[in-house]
Amino acid sequence: MSKNNANAVMQERDIHKITAGQLITRILSKSFTYIFLLIMALIVLFPFYWMIISSLKTLAEYRQAIPTFWPRQLMFVNYVDAFTTANLGDLFLNTLYVGLVSTLLSLVITVLSAFAFARLEFKGKETLFGMLLATMMIPGELFTITNYITVNRLGWMHTFTALIVPFLVSVFYIYLLRQNFMQIPNELYLAAKVDGTSDIKYLWKVMIPLSLPTLISITILKMMGAWNSYIWPKLVANDDAHQMITNGLRNAFTDTSGQANYPVQMAAVAIVSAPLFLVFLCLRKYIMSGVSRSGIKG
Amino acid sequence: MSKKIIAVLLSLVMVMGILALTGCNANNSNNAFAVPETGFNPDEVVEITFTHTMGAKLQEVLNTYIAEFNKLYPNIHITHQSAGGWGDINGQINTEIAGGNQPNIAYCYPDHVAMYNIAKSVVTLDNLIASDMAIPGTEEILGLTDAQKADFIESYYNEGLAYGDGLMYTMPLNKSTEVLYYDKDFFTENNLTVPTTWEEMWETCEKILAIDPDCYPLGYDAEDNWFITLCEQMETGYTSAENGGEYLFNNDANKAFVKELREYYQKGYFTTQELYGSYTSNLFVETTDTRCYMCIGSSGGASYQMSNNDTADGTFAFEVGVAPIPQYNAENRKVISQGPSLCILQGASTTDQQILASWLFVKFLCTNVDFQAEFSMASGYMPVLKSVTENENYANWLAKGNGYEYLVAKCVQIGIDGRDNYFVSPAFNGSSTARTQVGALLLKCLSGEAADDAAVDALINTAFQDAIDECEY
Amino acid sequence: MVDSKKHWKAWLYLSPAIILLLVFTVWPIFNTLRMAFLNGYGNMAAIGGQTFDFGIQNFVKVIEYKEFLQCLQNTAILCVATVPISTVLALLIAVALNSIKPLQKTLQTIFFLPYVTNSIAIGMVFAAMFNIVGLKQGSNMADTWGIINNVIQFFGGEPINWINAGSSYIANMAVMIIYIVWNALPFKILILLGGLQSINKQYYDAAKVDGTPKRRVLTRITIPLLSPMLAYVIITGFIGGFKEYSSIIGIFGEKMGPADDAGRLNTMVGFVYDALERDRQGRASAAALILFAIILIVTLINNKVIKKRVHY
Repeated sequence: MSKNNANAVMQERDIHKITAGQLITRILSKSFTYIFLLIMALIVLFPFYWMIISSLKTLAEYRQAIPTFWPRQLMFVNYVDAFTTANLGDLFLNTLYVGLVSTLLSLVITVLSAFAFARLEFKGKETLFGMLLATMMIPGELFTITNYITVNRLGWMHTFTALIVPFLVSVFYIYLLRQNFMQIPNELYLAAKVDGTSDIKYLWKVMIPLSLPTLISITILKMMGAWNSYIWPKLVANDDAHQMITNGLRNAFTDTSGQANYPVQMAAVAIVSAPLFLVFLCLRKYIMSGVSRSGIKG
Repeated sequence: MSKKIIAVLLSLVMVMGILALTGCNANNSNNAFAVPETGFNPDEVVEITFTHTMGAKLQEVLNTYIAEFNKLYPNIHITHQSAGGWGDINGQINTEIAGGNQPNIAYCYPDHVAMYNIAKSVVTLDNLIASDMAIPGTEEILGLTDAQKADFIESYYNEGLAYGDGLMYTMPLNKSTEVLYYDKDFFTENNLTVPTTWEEMWETCEKILAIDPDCYPLGYDAEDNWFITLCEQMETGYTSAENGGEYLFNNDANKAFVKELREYYQKGYFTTQELYGSYTSNLFVETTDTRCYMCIGSSGGASYQMSNNDTADGTFAFEVGVAPIPQYNAENRKVISQGPSLCILQGASTTDQQILASWLFVKFLCTNVDFQAEFSMASGYMPVLKSVTENENYANWLAKGNGYEYLVAKCVQIGIDGRDNYFVSPAFNGSSTARTQVGALLLKCLSGEAADDAAVDALINTAFQDAIDECEY
Repeated sequence: MVDSKKHWKAWLYLSPAIILLLVFTVWPIFNTLRMAFLNGYGNMAAIGGQTFDFGIQNFVKVIEYKEFLQCLQNTAILCVATVPISTVLALLIAVALNSIKPLQKTLQTIFFLPYVTNSIAIGMVFAAMFNIVGLKQGSNMADTWGIINNVIQFFGGEPINWINAGSSYIANMAVMIIYIVWNALPFKILILLGGLQSINKQYYDAAKVDGTPKRRVLTRITIPLLSPMLAYVIITGFIGGFKEYSSIIGIFGEKMGPADDAGRLNTMVGFVYDALERDRQGRASAAALILFAIILIVTLINNKVIKKRVHY
């Protein structure tokens, strides 16, 4: 204890006189951080770049043995094709609907469950949580046939229900949010109990604001899930009224022999990704330190 | 926590055991369709569904002919949907069969049908084809007339019989085959003749290498097709659908030809898609770097064999020639037949009227000359009827055409000319594994490292044994 | 503070999740178990009217499989190698992102971009980066070496045969590890960044006042306070790693290995898929249960280790 104190005192003294050496170290460490981030950013960005240039290639160039890093001829017409071939408007609305409804419901279920696991005491809590974790470990493909039969028996074929309900609960997200909830000091909850605040009010006023970054992460992942889902929607609701983006795109841009016309498909993906990207840009503000932290004092 | 989980698991296992013992299964043991005495009822509305892999352009053609069909049978309502690509359709239909929700008609490859047939979900067509029952309100009969039967290209028609029990399972819709594309300019310039046998092929390769030492004279896109085709041409045995499926390819004759191919590969005579690292058709259309002057690929993929269109006025870097693939034995000409067939599926809730309606539609698509012609022109696949070539539009299309269309027409022509030589590999549960395995084994034998002749033999022996083990596992 | 009212409440809150899980997860697991213990069960065959005996033949068959150990080994290597690498990298990126001011927004946006990138694009880019096209047998000539080898050559190294015919197991594995880490990064960065944002700024302010060096701030404040999120990404990373399959398809295609040695990189889930494709649900279920048992044991160990270190 005393050693720590001494240390702190020494360092506090140092703070006031920044030597040239320290300045250099600081600059070096900052530039190192930037270089590291920029390199990683380039690596992460590469597929995105690839998607864009692929969407601008001709099919022949796209299939070339030696991939070109810049299209020889910019095929903006791919975007026009994508827009006109597939019924993008309907596909977009369908996907947006499924994405929004399932995200909202899923958030409610996840928050309630995570709260129960993080804050409430009940018999068998540990066992139940362990079993939930265990369910994540079985390859989901084994469930497809059984779930298909279930949905069929429930009479949900070709409805939005079939697209939304089976995937509302994600043990992954419950687990994630539980981890976050558990970080919030229990004293806050106990104090709220003494004040007579209801659970729901406490959840809404304290827990949710404090874990907003995680909730937004979940929202992003869930929306992305709706955007990328392919196999299940194809099975249960591949009719015009319910078709989702990926299915619509895959079907629209196959050539005569059933092979995908990737450049046009990529163009279509880029088109439908744009609004999603804008939404993320807005949400990013909340994930990045837009969160009020007043409730955590004490 | 762990103890509890184990306890729960154990109890689950016990419950399952009980369930298993009492479990019952749906049973529809016989899938041979018996045509009902009352026949087809033209007044009752029937809804049928059709799952395919057609792109937007072909769906337009299909819609036109559904309208035509509805002029004949206004009571049959057809909904159709695309299941995506070839890789997706069988997985989807498998699941749908499990849910009792299968489409009435499906695009199919023989391997798919073999799988559906395990569930006894495929309607056999023999009774329908043979029926001479009149259809009220039309001049048609339910079955196929002798003239209709005779119009089918025989080997295509016989594909429906490839299931080892002599019953008819599918009807051919449009077909493709493998053809040899070559650089016609290069061949004329250097006074080369297009090889018709494998022996000539290797001689030609040697000559080409002498002219351009940096090239691959021949590119073959599909390794598995090559192996299977050679087995058929040499009659050395590949698989058989007898007794639920047999694997016959592990024999000395096959090992011998694989060893020979290895020698040619080591000499640089050819490459394949996997060995090259990209489609060999890309190599073929390339005009600057490493070249490939001959390329064997699907007749349905003609657009990929087009030489690069460098000039705006539609002239090409070189003229692409098309020829039948080389043979081993002129007496036993064989070339693989691919492309979609149609099958009719049934489940517990399928009605007789639905099956009859499905059959009428399948019959319509497969025997309607105009549809066959238009579908072929739109897809580059080959019509299955002999009389299509007499269709005026089609004959014109075959005769003129330029650029891409010319090439497609050429492919189709070769396909039609070679119609007596088609084979299809037997279909059973496991036939798709065999196909994957022989492709992999060929690659292993061609490119595996081996110091001397004995090592090569050992390599080949192990590769064959591994492949057969995987098939029989 | 455990009273019956609270019990009742907990179950009420959990009820929507539990009901849905019972229908769409537990019931399918029951079905999986049933199929695993029916000798030679196949779905299509069952519809076709075939009946099956109760027994453990499926498990025997799976264990007898020639490449079973190979599948297990591949799965284990991928898991053990990728989880630590991707977690550490993601942590560094998240912390670095959190510590800078200029360019912060731009860089954050860039790290979000993978979410709007189509997965087909990601797979293709990678294959193209490592793929050597036209490598001539026995010579040192190729049409293109791929961008990765170009970089190696630029620095004076010898190009490596990563994924094509004749490549080594180690090279194959290296590519898979890089690809999987790359794939896992965006998700982990997102989660960890979210976690970092939830840490009370006061801790850092206090550290600043104390003049604590950066490294100490990282090991003494950031990592302990981030430990629940780290535990999350590690455990889910392991579970994901054990289920690895589609990334191998992405690089090597359905043959699950280089051209001359198909199946070399097959994993447990790959085995499950193969069995499903041949209408062998029984065998697939048995393999999935074996995998499940393995993951369960690893997760329990993980939990034990992590519990000691996680700071709530």
